[in-house]
Formats: sequence, structure tokens, C-alpha cells
Amino acid sequence: MTKNYLLNEINSSNKSFILYKSKKGFDLFSDFSKKIILNNKNINKFLKKKLKTRKKLKNTDLFIGFFGYEILNNLIGVKLPKQKSINFPKGIFYKPETKVSLKDNLFYKSNSDKKVDKNFKININQKTYTKIFNRFKKKIRSGDTYQIKICTKYKNKSKIDPLDFFCRLAKSNLAPEAFMIKDKNFSIISCSPENLITKNGLSVSTKPIAGTLRKTKNINKTKALNFFRNNIKETKEHNMIVDMERNDLSRICVPGSVRLKKEKSVEEYKDLYHYVSLISGKLKKNVKNIDIIKAMMPGGSVIGCPKINTLNLLNNQEKENRNIYTGSFGFIKFNGDMRFNIIIRSILNYKNISEISVASGVVIDSNAKHEFNENFIKAKALIDLYK
Amino acid sequence: MIYVIDHKDSFTHNVVHQFSLFDDVECDDFSKIDKFKLNQASTIVFSPGPGSPKDYPTSSKIYKKLKGKKRIIGICLGFQQILFSEGASIIEQNKIYHGFQSEVLVNKSSKLFNTGQKFKVGRYHSLKLKEPFKAENFDITMRCVISGTAMSFENNIDKIYGFQFHPESFLTLNGKLFIKKILSA
Repeated sequence: MTKNYLLNEINSSNKSFILYKSKKGFDLFSDFSKKIILNNKNINKFLKKKLKTRKKLKNTDLFIGFFGYEILNNLIGVKLPKQKSINFPKGIFYKPETKVSLKDNLFYKSNSDKKVDKNFKININQKTYTKIFNRFKKKIRSGDTYQIKICTKYKNKSKIDPLDFFCRLAKSNLAPEAFMIKDKNFSIISCSPENLITKNGLSVSTKPIAGTLRKTKNINKTKALNFFRNNIKETKEHNMIVDMERNDLSRICVPGSVRLKKEKSVEEYKDLYHYVSLISGKLKKNVKNIDIIKAMMPGGSVIGCPKINTLNLLNNQEKENRNIYTGSFGFIKFNGDMRFNIIIRSILNYKNISEISVASGVVIDSNAKHEFNENFIKAKALIDLYK
Repeated sequence: MIYVIDHKDSFTHNVVHQFSLFDDVECDDFSKIDKFKLNQASTIVFSPGPGSPKDYPTSSKIYKKLKGKKRIIGICLGFQQILFSEGASIIEQNKIYHGFQSEVLVNKSSKLFNTGQKFKVGRYHSLKLKEPFKAENFDITMRCVISGTAMSFENNIDKIYGFQFHPESFLTLNGKLFIKKILSA
């Protein structure tokens, strides 16, 4: 079996598998010997478990999977009110026995005729969005939050071939934290651009994104950078996230070691430009992985600021469970190294219902119509896959 | 030891790291104050935080109890908390500053900083001090160059200091200097 046919083989075998963007291409994880479905009871045990280390770490000596939004809230003591829920698992981790490295140009030809609906239903319309928006603006005036993200959800009924979707997405929108999971009764496809935790030994870093600009013919990377720099609203929003991520790293890092490595640069994607910073630090010696996860998750840039109060405000507002959205996907190696993203720009397909969630920020000078449209821009690259 | 009282903010640990450059720092949530640490500390810091000073009556109580006995420092909400405990009104601003870098100017009532000196500082506040404000031994020592909003106070008799801006923010240039000055005053 050559690598070219590998994806066709594995997809038709009905085995569960995961693809995750690597530096050079994609890593394919399969042959799962363990599957741990997380809940509030076993998550602490899972995260505190001493992982057996061999002298030489095998490339499959890791757990790979995701934490949903709800379990990350619960982990830091934030409770969610009763919400509409599809009872999707709160988190799942897999122990792979096989890992294969693939190149960026994924080779896969779909031969299945799946039933795909082009139309999506949005859970809040512009009028409702504006109402929520104005309520949150009042909360900013009174100092209860400084920035808060309103989440909208697009849904439809579709039977999809997730690998076909992912390969097309990877072609049009090669994002540094892209991943897909195919399991028996669900699949996740994501072109997340955002890394939340990279931990190697004692060094840890995070790369928050705050600021989005739609691509047009007249804009290039330099012009995008100038746009962000001259746009006071985008700059303030970004500054806030930088200080917030510095704070979250400071919880677990040696005083004086937290540094802003890359301040406000621009990254280019298919439909948009992002405003990005990179912050790093050196971990305190006694810090455990569970401490890192509790300090950093859920990722601040997709919540707002300050974290706890803002989480409470938005949880009380949201009628539907976010499921995977703004959770984190990644892996924990047996030697303790970790890599986690923030799950955004994602499709969750569960029991043949597709859902795409997006969010955009309310700060004091944002405009409801603009933010509502920004949500659509973010969803567009994914909605286009259904055409 | 410096004891930081955290008002559940997402900037508190930046404050902790900055103060750690000068002394040992302990930090607890405002609702879980450790009496032993409170007694041991030579300096108390009221952290930034969401909401307004009236939401944190326990912090006002601690302030009133320890005023004159220990060095007390307030940052952002902490700045407002101290002034509120001294009888000030804290009100909403017309223009709100979140993640904003502005210039502040030192006036002649400052004993720690040079009159006329300007600093670039990071701001994250919805609310501000209502003026005129008067309390014994308290002087407003820095103001926003554009709006005139109170940005810092000194009470050099009781060793109480506050900044409406965030010395720990990456938007504040040379933020360490502010902390060094008030800790050695």
C-alpha cells in the first residue's frame, strides 16, 4: 500500500482515525487501542495519570483528542446553566498504535454519494444578535466585562464524507492547527489557525489571534498590517488578549520569564487575514499538565476578558451547548509534552446533523451589524464545502 | 511579603509577576483571604477586576482595617476600591478605555515622580473617579493628558498608592519603575 492510497484504504475500512496538521504536512493517527470518553468525574484522573515513559519515546506514545467547552468550564469551577444539548461527549482521547506522516497535498478521491444539504439554519438572527450585543455593551459600560464574544451556530441535516470535506478544506485553507476526527457516529473537521498551548520540556507558548480582515483584491499582507495598526478598535481588542494570555502564562511560569516574542503580526488565509501575537514562558518546576490546562483553557481569545466573569455572562446568555466549539484539540505525549489548539472554524457532524459555530467580539466601539457579518465571513469557508 | 488580593481578574498574575521582581508575593482570591498571610504581609495590593468597588465590600473592610498599618497599593479597580473606601464616588465614563495606550502627566503634588514628566501607560477601565474628590493626605498625582481623568494618587503619610492604569501591561513602557518607586517610598 503506497501512501497515496492510504487515505482511501483507511476511509473505506471504517476504522476511526485522526489527521492533524504537522509542520511539513499531516500526521495520520489510527489503530486506537484505547478510547477515553471524558466526564467531570474521570477528567482529573485522566490528566493526573502518570504516563508510562520508556527510555525512547515512540511516536505513538501519546493521547490525542479533544476537550469540549463545557468540561473546560467545569474544570475551572464555572458551571453552565441548563442548555439545549445534543448529548455529544464532553471530551474524547484516543491512544493510537499507528502514526503515518503525510504531505500537505492530501490524496483522496471520494466515491460515495452522500446527501448534502446546501442550506443552513442560523440559531440567532441579526435582530436577536443586536439585542444580545446591546445588552453586553451595557455590561462593558459598567465594567463587568471588557470584551465578550457572541457565538452563532449554523446547522443543517447532512450525511457527509468527512475526509472529502477535510481534503478540500486543506486545499483551500491550509491552517496550522487543522485537524479531523472520524469516529463511528461522529466526525469533526476543522481549519483552526490558532495554537493555544505548545509545551516542550519546561518551555511553553501560546499564539492568540484577535483581529480579522476579509480579503479583497485590493489588499495584500502589508496593507492588512497597516489596516490593523491604524484601526484603534482592532488594536485595543488585540492588546487586551495579549495581556490576558500573558496573565494566563504567568500563573504557571517563572516570574520574569513571560515574554512577548512576536507582537502583532499578520497571517494570511484563503478568505481573510488574522492579527496574531506569540507569547512564551518558562514553566515553574512543580507545575503539572493539569495546571497548564486549567490556566490556559478555555482559550481567552475566543471568550473575552476577564475570563471568569465573561464566561458567566456568556453562559447565561447562550441557549445551546457549544459542544466542541472553543474547546481544545491536541495531544499529550507520554513524556508530558503537549500541543493544543482552540477548536474554531470547525464542523461537528453528529448523528448526521452538521453544526458550524462562530463568534466575534463585542468591545465598546464595535458595531452589531459588522460583527454579525464577521461571524458569517468566518463560517463561509466551511459552508462553501456543502456546495 | 506582598499579599495580592485578586478580584478574579485576567490581569492579576501579570501584577503578581511584576511585584515578584521585588519581593515574595502571595496571591489569593478576594473571597478566600488567608488571615495569617494578611498579618504577615508588609504590603497589600488590591488587584484589578471586573465590576465596581461596591461589589467587593470585604476588600473595603480589609483596607479600612489596615490603613496606616501596612503599605497599601491599588491597581485599576484596586485604585478605585481605595478611593471608594475613602468616600469617593466611582462613576461611568463617557469614553471607555480598554486596551488603550495613553499618556499621563505627573503634576506638582507628586512626591515620587518628577513634575511635568509624561509616561505612556496601558488602560483597562470603564469607570473613573468622580471629581472633585477630597480626602485627608490623598493627592491626585497623575492625569490623562487628553481627558484629565485621575490616573494615580499618593498618600505618603499612610503609604497608600494607586494607579488607574496598569503598570503590569505590555502597553505601559517601563512599568517596573512605578512599582519600584512606590515600594521604596
